[in-house]
Amino acid sequence: MSPSTTTARHARLLALALCLLVAACGPTAVVVKGNFPPPLVQPLPLSLGVWYDADFSGHEFSDAGEEQRSGGWVVTTGAAQVQMWDTVLGGLFAKLVHLDAKPAPGRPAAQVDGVLVPHVEELQYAIPAQNRAKVYEIWIRYRFELLSPAGEPLAQWVMSSYGKTPTAFLQSDQEAVNLAAVMALRDAGANFTTTFDNDPAVQAWLRDRGAHTGSGTP
Amino acid sequence: MSRAAGVALLAALLCGCVTATVDEMVFHEPEEGMGEGSVVILGRRHASDYDTEPDFVRCVGDYIASRDRAINVIGELDFVNDLYPWFEPRTAPLNPQQIAQLLQRPAVAGRLAELRLQYMIWIDGSTARSDSAGSMACGVGPGGGGCFGFGTWTNDADYEATIWDFTDRAEVGRVNTSATGQSYMPALIVPIPIIAPVQGAACDGIAAQLLQFLSSEY
Repeated sequence: MSPSTTTARHARLLALALCLLVAACGPTAVVVKGNFPPPLVQPLPLSLGVWYDADFSGHEFSDAGEEQRSGGWVVTTGAAQVQMWDTVLGGLFAKLVHLDAKPAPGRPAAQVDGVLVPHVEELQYAIPAQNRAKVYEIWIRYRFELLSPAGEPLAQWVMSSYGKTPTAFLQSDQEAVNLAAVMALRDAGANFTTTFDNDPAVQAWLRDRGAHTGSGTP
Repeated sequence: MSRAAGVALLAALLCGCVTATVDEMVFHEPEEGMGEGSVVILGRRHASDYDTEPDFVRCVGDYIASRDRAINVIGELDFVNDLYPWFEPRTAPLNPQQIAQLLQRPAVAGRLAELRLQYMIWIDGSTARSDSAGSMACGVGPGGGGCFGFGTWTNDADYEATIWDFTDRAEVGRVNTSATGQSYMPALIVPIPIIAPVQGAACDGIAAQLLQFLSSEY
């Protein structure tokens, strides 16, 4: 074996070792996946438009600072958010229309009674290393905008959700984080279904449209 | 025959000791069993520091369904998904009187009627490690590897089942069970876990009492 062949082989091995080292130190990626059941309610006889902006449909959260360098988490929730809200809103309203753009004066949304724009305002989490218990926890704070078809603001309110899961239930930490996120999303759907008509401005919108509310806490 | 006896002896030797206590308080037991209706067993998940384990709830359901095939036990996840969002941690009824409010919703009342639900059993509690001691060291060398040391830990299980009569919308019984077990892990080259089946003993204790309540054959 010639010296140049040996050197090339060593260089390849070194590159492979470096790749493995870098990969081992990188953050753990989780793309949240789950099944979300439709709400068991009488649908409101309204057509609701929904607009998910890029921040919402591509939402992800990650560890910051020290933990990022030492291998933290990057959790992508955007696709699961859209899946859950499509299911919940599709069950709450007789018709759900996905909009290509947020309605604005001069660019109204057609054939809808109102437009809902959800935002993830804040997401906090606790992992076993932080809370010293074998529990993963996720809190999400949402902000909702209800707009008229012409894009005029009708109502705005905030809502929180929470999900947790003990690690002991699951095989891996990734599964545990995924389930905590799924539980937080389920809780968001439950909270929205039972409280979205508590806001006086939403109640006024429903009255104007002649819709009797089908939600509310039992 | 001798092989089966050997396996049984080995299994007995590899199980730690468990002490279990079951308390029962029944107000109104059905004289002829529960008949053709169905029963659902659900875990309480609204405490901040613990969740009732889904596998414990499943264990109780499997115990009852396998011993009296006339009893239709609805799976917890199927039920909670079917009635989403009314049995989520945020929205689940905390007392039987709240069932009346739930039944005012036509969609919920209709689904529960389809299920022919007669009893709803809530299980609240968890299994936790209360104490541990000992140490173990493992090493690997050119000639092989092995572990040396001794570890021991105590698990405590504490559960309470509350039985609601869905027809009368009243609480008709309570069963408490607590179990404590010491597990051991001696290691002389190979670690040998001697696990106390604490959760299994608690499951058998509470499920046997519930079976007596629900079944006409026990």
